[in-house]
Amino acid sequence: MDSQLIFTLVGFVLTLMVFSYIFGDNFLFRLAGYLFVGVSGGYVGALVIDQVILPRLIYPLLTEGPIAEKVLAGIPLIFGTLLLTKLSPRLARLGNIPMAYLVGVGAAIAVGGAVFGTLLGQIRGAAEPFNLTDPANSMGGMLEGLVILVGAVGTLVYFQFGANTRPDQPPRRAPVVEGLALVGQIFIGITLGALFAGVYAAAITALVERWLEIITTIAKFF
Amino acid sequence: MRSPVATAIAISFGLIVLIGYFIPADSANLQFILTIRSILIGWAVVLAAVAALVGVFNMLFVNMKRMTAKRNPDRFGFVLVLAFLVTFVAGLWFGPGNSDYQKAVLAVQIPVEGALMGLVAITLTVAGLRLAQRRKTLMAGVFAVSAVVFLLLASGLLGMLSDFPVIGFIQRLPIAGGRGILLGIALGSLTAGLRVLLAADRPYTG
Repeated sequence: MDSQLIFTLVGFVLTLMVFSYIFGDNFLFRLAGYLFVGVSGGYVGALVIDQVILPRLIYPLLTEGPIAEKVLAGIPLIFGTLLLTKLSPRLARLGNIPMAYLVGVGAAIAVGGAVFGTLLGQIRGAAEPFNLTDPANSMGGMLEGLVILVGAVGTLVYFQFGANTRPDQPPRRAPVVEGLALVGQIFIGITLGALFAGVYAAAITALVERWLEIITTIAKFF
Repeated sequence: MRSPVATAIAISFGLIVLIGYFIPADSANLQFILTIRSILIGWAVVLAAVAALVGVFNMLFVNMKRMTAKRNPDRFGFVLVLAFLVTFVAGLWFGPGNSDYQKAVLAVQIPVEGALMGLVAITLTVAGLRLAQRRKTLMAGVFAVSAVVFLLLASGLLGMLSDFPVIGFIQRLPIAGGRGILLGIALGSLTAGLRVLLAADRPYTG
């Protein structure tokens, strides 16, 4: 039998197994889920070994080269071996040092990414319509920029839950904060609605594509 | 202090990587810091790969344990373990880049992912209808109107109105909320990262 036909049949059966969830959680849906997780896990494992661990950890130690290169490859090998001890509950403590390294470097990258990637970029984007030296900026663009700026500030204020407390009165936010939070609520609603529409459109496309695949497969045999 | 060595490693290596962000790439005097930073990030990439491998094998061992448990064994675990082992060994044998191997993996992944995404469409429809029926708040109202408007815009039904500037303005409105949410996430990441670098949080001591 042609391998392409086998793959088509596998896809057909798996699609029906997943769609069986429409009638509630059942044996077929679970079977498809477990198969999917197993295949994906095996693929990720093989990919990580083939693309990262072998070329960046093992090959530099086995191939001939300067001793400094081997030392530099030896340190992640020691850390990596210690990290593998996390698989054993008894030895898991040994993995704390490579975890600390990973968390420390990860935190620094997160801070750098947040400041240079998001904060500065978004602030620059919010300020851009008000750049009077740019001849492309018009009065209309400035007004639009103002609306978007107020929306962004309102969205940030919406998540500000600090409130003033007075004796014998429930804690309340300042009226300005309340007003901005209300504006923020409207803009969050608009953004989430737009995101919902995007996800929904993508999901509908996937649904149509799967049904077409089912119909095409059935048509092949009749 | 608990785990002083681990804490010192997290702070020192983290600070070296952080300092690297503030050094211009063409700086001659401080070039060595950028070199060290690059080596440190390279090690972190390798360690992240090992951590991913630990996670994947942990999933395998947990399922093997559940499969062989004396009380209520999980029989589906056998499918997961078998699928994992076959895919993993074949991946190492042929190489993950082998076209036949990729076709076989994708023959499972694409239909399941596509069908799950299709189920999301059904779930979102039901959830949207329930939201409209049960929660009549300002946010729910704005959300519903926005979702309908953006679905109409995405469908192309309002294509003849695309020349009107107001349509462009509506399409750019979600930038405001998105920008606020992104700034919030960035501020949160900044705070969490600084807490780790100042050893106020030590998630690695567990």
